[in-house]
Amino acid sequence: MSEPLVLGIETSCDETAVGIVKGRKLLANVISSSVEEHARFGGVVPEIASRAHLEAMQQVISAALIEAKVSLQDIDAFGVTAGPGLIGALLVGTSAASGLALALDKPLFGVNHLSSHIAVDSLDEDRILEPAIGLLVSGGHSSILKVSNLATNVEVLGATIDDAAGEAFDKIARLLELDFPGGPAIDRLAQSGNPDAITFPRGLTHAHDLQDHRYDFSFSGLKTAVSRYLKETPGAVRADVAASFQEAVVDVLLTKAISAAQAEGFESLIIAGGVAANSRLRTQAEQRCQEAKIRLRTPPKALCTDNGAMVAALTSLMVQAGETPTGVGFSADSSSGLERLLWR
Amino acid sequence: MSVILAIDTSTDRTSVAIVRDGKPLVELNHDDPLAHGEILPKLVKEALLAENKIDCVAIGMGPGPFTGLRVGIAFGQSFALGRGIPWIGVSSLDAIAVNVGEEDFIVAIDARRKELFWARYFEGKRISEPAVNVHQIVEELGVHIVRRPPTALAIAELATTQNLREPSYIRRPDAYPLPTGINFRAAAMMDAVALYGLEKEIYSSEDPWSLAQFKEELAAKDRYYIVAESEGKVVGYAGVMPAGDVTDILTMTVDSHYRRKGIAREFLKRLIDWSRNKKVEAIMLEVRVNNLEAIPLYEGNGFRTISQRPDYYGPGKDALVMRKELRS
Ligand SMILES: [Zn+2]
Repeated sequence: MSEPLVLGIETSCDETAVGIVKGRKLLANVISSSVEEHARFGGVVPEIASRAHLEAMQQVISAALIEAKVSLQDIDAFGVTAGPGLIGALLVGTSAASGLALALDKPLFGVNHLSSHIAVDSLDEDRILEPAIGLLVSGGHSSILKVSNLATNVEVLGATIDDAAGEAFDKIARLLELDFPGGPAIDRLAQSGNPDAITFPRGLTHAHDLQDHRYDFSFSGLKTAVSRYLKETPGAVRADVAASFQEAVVDVLLTKAISAAQAEGFESLIIAGGVAANSRLRTQAEQRCQEAKIRLRTPPKALCTDNGAMVAALTSLMVQAGETPTGVGFSADSSSGLERLLWR
Repeated sequence: MSVILAIDTSTDRTSVAIVRDGKPLVELNHDDPLAHGEILPKLVKEALLAENKIDCVAIGMGPGPFTGLRVGIAFGQSFALGRGIPWIGVSSLDAIAVNVGEEDFIVAIDARRKELFWARYFEGKRISEPAVNVHQIVEELGVHIVRRPPTALAIAELATTQNLREPSYIRRPDAYPLPTGINFRAAAMMDAVALYGLEKEIYSSEDPWSLAQFKEELAAKDRYYIVAESEGKVVGYAGVMPAGDVTDILTMTVDSHYRRKGIAREFLKRLIDWSRNKKVEAIMLEVRVNNLEAIPLYEGNGFRTISQRPDYYGPGKDALVMRKELRS
């Protein structure tokens, strides 16, 4: 099928999300977030997330159909995030997707959350799909992916060994008494600071680290260093601290991602996930990729955080690649890695 | 009303039936507390072979363990949406009662953690609101308790008279007596978010630890953290670390709804035991000078105040430093 109409469902964390694509064209992307309900707990509470998914699911599906101006009968295939994620949350999505697929007797694909973050980039129809390195950075992930083929061949080259990049931003924002979420707040404050004012450590970049952790990240040492600097430096310039911290994160992310692209001989880098919205990361990525002669891809901000369009996009590529659907009656897997791109 | 697809996932059993004009065409059951998500679509797929033209979906809305319950509801609602047909919610407890030929009885569903979801029936009618309690409380009523899974056939039968729109979760009102079952165990990385949630609730006004701090603490090899759980929910935590010749209690926190139950006492006992095994001279802690709940507990366990630290918890919030000798 060359241009399948695909509906994708994503419920791995706190966003109840449905996207609809036709081939590689985005038709609808509807998200209902329960983030407000989690705010007082300071983190996503699985039971609250699962409840909210069930409450929102039917409306989100209907809203996406209206936005795409299609009916359920028109859908050629359904896709759903089958892992990784919170198990109770995933189950609401997989059960809803199974109900739709069975009711309409249409194929169902259980797909991987991490690879769909990268696959969302295929929704730019002018783009020629080619092997790429994926840099996935958000509050929940910090990974370097080797994307030989979006639909069929994605491997993890490295990941964070402690906190995700987005978590580091939140923590430093707290130290600087900025609002939650920390990413945008630090981004703003850093605009007026000097990124070279303070040299903060770049985790896992020393020669002896590169042996075992060539493409892995660590942000806990950086947090400690910022915290110590603030304690030991009365009258520290907050904007400089924000800019220098951000520079350290951006530097290590891009250094490792670009070196992965060069080592693998890939000419393209895709940056996705919530942190891909960071303006310093974007400008630095452009500059460094240009220097390294690497084509840089950054999906629109709305498609960087968790959404259903990315699931639909990945599923659509799988349909086009002639992959066998998962069918109904599979189990979601909260901790699956990328060895499972597609559930079978 | 002609052909009903009925499903229930409120117990360990996944039950599916198709009923035409009150006559069962097919009924399929599978018992597995952890596989509702995988099994339900398979059973429905098989049942549809008997009759594929469905007019309405009847869904058991609980009460029942939440994760499994939501599988049935999410699936049933979406199936109805896909077919463009209505769905009807039915009380899973009422469905069990359908087949009981007694005058006065209680129907109960396992709520895990030694509790039951239950309601009482008299002459075929439910006479109490569904509730959740520990087994003992339900048993003390002295009424025969019927405990078996609802059948999808009964769900289909009740679909002609009920139409629930919301899942029946039944939260525990605060007035209920606390279950005796508090579980203590070593904390793991997966607890970080729960600990942080509790921390924020309790220390909101005085610089709570961040999520990242909890993760660091839980990852640190030399620390000892324990949690207290009630019904799978973390209701308290405590931690201790070695500091030279002594150990230092880092935190001891109990959910405000679970105070005065002996949780802190048990924490203290375990932290002291751990410290003794480290063969240190003493165990130490800081406590707010005005914490009149905690100080007597520490004193009762052999801690003595050795100094006072002004502004330890912020301006005007002094701490007492207390120490208990472990070598004698
Ligand atoms: Zn994600």
